[in-house]
Amino acid sequence: MRILLIEDEVHLREQVTQQLQKQNLTVDAVADGEEGLYQGSEYPYDIAVIDLGLPKLSGIEVIQQLRAAGKEFPILILTARGRWQDKVEGLEAGADDYLVKPFHFEELSARINALARRASGWVNATLQCGNVTLNPSSQEVMNEGIAVDLTAYEYRLLHFLMLHAGEVLSKTELTDHIYEHDQDRDSNVIEVFIKRLRNKLDPDKITNPIETLRGRGYRLTLPRDH
Amino acid sequence: MIINNLSLSKRLLFAVTIVLTAFLGTSAFSLNNAFLASADAAQQKRLKNYVYTLLTAADLDDSGLLTMHDELAEPLFSTPNSGLYAQIISGRQIVWQSASTLGRFIALPEHPGPSKEILSIVELESGIKLLNLAFGVVWENDDGKEYEFTINVSEDLNAITRQKEQFQRNLWYWLGGTGIILLFAQALILRWGLRPLNEVAIELNAIESGDRNRLSSDYPSELNQLTQNINNLLDHEQSRRERYKNSLADLAHSLKTPLAVFRGELESSPDLADIKQTGHEQLDRIASLVDYQLQRAATEGKSSLLAPVSLGEIIHKILDSLNKVYQSKNIHCQFDIQRDAFIHADTGDMYELLGNLLENAYKYCNKQVHVTVISQLDIIEIRIEDDGNGIPEHAQQDIIKRGKRIDTQVEGQGIGLAIVSDIIEAYQGEIALKTSNLGGANFVIQLPNQ
Repeated sequence: MRILLIEDEVHLREQVTQQLQKQNLTVDAVADGEEGLYQGSEYPYDIAVIDLGLPKLSGIEVIQQLRAAGKEFPILILTARGRWQDKVEGLEAGADDYLVKPFHFEELSARINALARRASGWVNATLQCGNVTLNPSSQEVMNEGIAVDLTAYEYRLLHFLMLHAGEVLSKTELTDHIYEHDQDRDSNVIEVFIKRLRNKLDPDKITNPIETLRGRGYRLTLPRDH
Repeated sequence: MIINNLSLSKRLLFAVTIVLTAFLGTSAFSLNNAFLASADAAQQKRLKNYVYTLLTAADLDDSGLLTMHDELAEPLFSTPNSGLYAQIISGRQIVWQSASTLGRFIALPEHPGPSKEILSIVELESGIKLLNLAFGVVWENDDGKEYEFTINVSEDLNAITRQKEQFQRNLWYWLGGTGIILLFAQALILRWGLRPLNEVAIELNAIESGDRNRLSSDYPSELNQLTQNINNLLDHEQSRRERYKNSLADLAHSLKTPLAVFRGELESSPDLADIKQTGHEQLDRIASLVDYQLQRAATEGKSSLLAPVSLGEIIHKILDSLNKVYQSKNIHCQFDIQRDAFIHADTGDMYELLGNLLENAYKYCNKQVHVTVISQLDIIEIRIEDDGNGIPEHAQQDIIKRGKRIDTQVEGQGIGLAIVSDIIEAYQGEIALKTSNLGGANFVIQLPNQ
């Protein structure tokens, strides 16, 4: 899951980025509104976290322009001013939730996960497809009740596949959503990751949890259990 | 630019002076003209009357000789050098001269024709100017023979000019005098009329230097509205300043407790996990204290100078926002808001008041929230109900107790309701906590609305 973070305060930006990365989320962090608007318009994000008081272009304007450009990913606003008038203004502009500074990181993480779930039609905090469960807040993955040990990128890939269980996802889409924009990427690596995931989730090759659709991409076949 | 900076009394005085000068000037001009015209007309008429006097005094005998009665009705004709002269001419010959002429003579205007008259100015050798009326008469004697005469009556022009000059002088004296008196009176009237404004300025200065708190109330009705509003503004500012000062002092004091707790923990506890835990707790406490006091300081409070805001509009906007945030909870919100529910209040304060209450309702409800706004004559009642678990009776008092500071409040209460209580207090309203028919809490707020 790839997140756009727009926050001008350097310490907060770095802390939040680190914490989110610790949760195996892909984070692109930028410091001002113009840069944020550019990133948000150019790359496919699953969620954006936007501070309201930004240099160059205010958070409200960034949100309005992203929405006007047809971007539908959920937006969480961060604001130092807890006035209701500001919150209402932000939500009216097109944001989906708000968080007043200072906040606990757990709170931010919970809100991000909730918005991501909501956007892809999930209700429960823990994602479950067939026998596989994934807990975004603890990053624990279980298969038939047994913990599965995944590398960071395997986890990111499985998280995204599970959020969109049942949908066909192209290799490019998968790459876009698990890599930060400045990272080297090779779409062939996806094949390797998929193969490893299959081995870890279905070592006996019975359930075939991820199917390959030639020329189109991949699909998680395990049924969603809300 | 200069005109704009002119004081009110100078403006008025300036304008009045110009108007008065113009008015008096044109009056003088037209009076003068009218006088001169009537003086001229009167003079001609007088000369003509003299002609008639002479005609009645004259006699024609059969031989055509003209004789004049000795005693003429007008004594000036008999007084030498009186300035009024008469002579009767026949052809080019002087037939008769009044005694006043002393035998001098005067030019001989032509015979104007029977019953015709000629007005002319003749100048004597001595330089004296005369206005002369020549009147032609044709006399018939008993035989039916006609004789032509010209009757000349002359009046000294100098006398007339002097008279005119005298009049003009008098006119200017009177008008000038009146003008000066009027201006003086005007200046006095202005001073008297503008005195309340000066008094306001003096009182405002006194307020500025701290010698007064408000303006006095005995001003003329035109100013009363203004001074009343200034007083309201001053009161409003005063209470705001006090709230600001109080919240600043409260903030400083209330921050000391968590700081002391944390320092104590740092100094006494050997366990790093404990210190971290206490640090977190006290930081949270500090954060909410800052939030709360900031909110309190930002509260505008009641003032009749604020424009009316629509409660319906604010509630709808907040509900739209909450519906977005609490989407997954699928809350059914029913509202019953009177169309004309407007209140003279600060928009930000109303957002804060309603936002906190509505968010609480959304947070603690099961599925239903009910908002009612009733606008009565001078009170607006807002009811916010939910179908949650409600608030236990023993806690209700604590939650809505007025003026209760956040640092003395029950842990975990959040600052939302403390802010709500403060705003209601700033608007001199009432809040009551009841149990809703829906089963949960029912906050009833009454705000005065004048």
